[in-house]
Amino acid sequence: MSPAAAVGIWAVAQLVPSPLLVIGNEHVGGGMRWQLTPILYSFGIAERPWRTFLVSPIARHSGSIELHVSPEWACCAPNEQNSWLVRAGLRLYLPLLEHGEKLSWSVGGSYYRAAGGGSGSADLGLFTFNGAFGLNVTVSPWLARREVITALTIRLF
Amino acid sequence: MRAQTLIVVALSLALQGCGFAWRALKRNLSAPPERAVAHKIVDPRRPEARLAALWVGHATVLLQLDDRFVLTDPVFQHTLSQASPRLVEPGIDPERIPALAAVVVSHMHFDHLSFSSLDLVEQRTPVVLVPPGVRANMPRYDFEIRELESWASYEHDGLRITAVPVQHVGGRYALDAAFETRAFTGYVFEYHGLSVYFGGDTGYIPSAFAATHARFPNLSLALIPICPDAPRDFMQYTHVGPNQALDAFALLGARQMIPIHFDTYINSDDAQGACPNELRAQMRARGLSEQQVSILAVGEQRVLVEK
Repeated sequence: MSPAAAVGIWAVAQLVPSPLLVIGNEHVGGGMRWQLTPILYSFGIAERPWRTFLVSPIARHSGSIELHVSPEWACCAPNEQNSWLVRAGLRLYLPLLEHGEKLSWSVGGSYYRAAGGGSGSADLGLFTFNGAFGLNVTVSPWLARREVITALTIRLF
Repeated sequence: MRAQTLIVVALSLALQGCGFAWRALKRNLSAPPERAVAHKIVDPRRPEARLAALWVGHATVLLQLDDRFVLTDPVFQHTLSQASPRLVEPGIDPERIPALAAVVVSHMHFDHLSFSSLDLVEQRTPVVLVPPGVRANMPRYDFEIRELESWASYEHDGLRITAVPVQHVGGRYALDAAFETRAFTGYVFEYHGLSVYFGGDTGYIPSAFAATHARFPNLSLALIPICPDAPRDFMQYTHVGPNQALDAFALLGARQMIPIHFDTYINSDDAQGACPNELRAQMRARGLSEQQVSILAVGEQRVLVEK
């Protein structure tokens, strides 16, 4: 397989969104999130600790810290503002079972930019099935009507 | 026209793959409880043996070559990838495994590379040999992880282990098979004039088997997978069935064969016992004796060359 085809397969995998449950004051809705990893340092992997974009699950979930960029559509922005926002932040992944393939968790912080301005968020996650599925709760106290967002993370690669 | 044909073939295989995966999932969900191994061997060291093999299950074999032990594709997990339960317990308790000269891993699929199983032998082996591309997909361990290209060898204290070509697919998480195009191998172990072939997982590739025979003309033993066999169209490229396993045995020119990779996990449409039964039928048709092809039970140890 050519490098271009391999990159194409990886790119298609990145298009799979993670569905969101958006919980704001007096409001519940939905959304979708995508995630890219421009750079990740894995301290759990045997070789090649620095990865960019193409990150194998074991490199991430055996213990790593990543810089992520997450475009997101989360419903219900106030005053009919655009519901798109983008987050950029750092996230630490730590293994719990079977070097993280069976179970791992994460903690992170990010800065978001939305139509009404930007501020900080914190998130906590739990992942299983080789990191393919997980739950990630993002708390953004100053993101009106979207203060708590729970993502069912789907990440094929 | 060629592109259209390729698309039709790819779609056909993808649909077959989805159907097969769904059937395998259903069978795994209704799998019986793990069967116990009666009379499990407590001490696998056989002083009377020059060459002995203990089938731990699936592709995991504990080999004794004189005073050296090697372990192939160690998998002791009770459930693979959180979805496929083990049908019969491992044929030896991991803590009973003696000090190893080496561990080999044929490729990254979950039924061959188990990180938690490597934890269990971490302090018992100085080295784990893997095909190219695998080291960057393994966690850190105390042992050395050494990649071997085809025909490259690892040597230590008279034991030589050579990577030999097989036909399979690399990757661990399905999509990465597209990137890991060299991450699969077989091995030949040589020690004190003994030599053993381990096929890992392989499709039928006569040129590779013949080339291995040319380099290792006096193989004492071949460990060859015989399953999964069905659905044959889907497995054709990546797995030999019982019939092709015997063809491979003939091409390798080994004196004895032990079939592996069957009846431990559900990863095909094959019924329990179907692959060894078919192997027996093919052995009868070819006039092969049970001395030439020894079908072991999980946990059974066979002395193949006595002192």
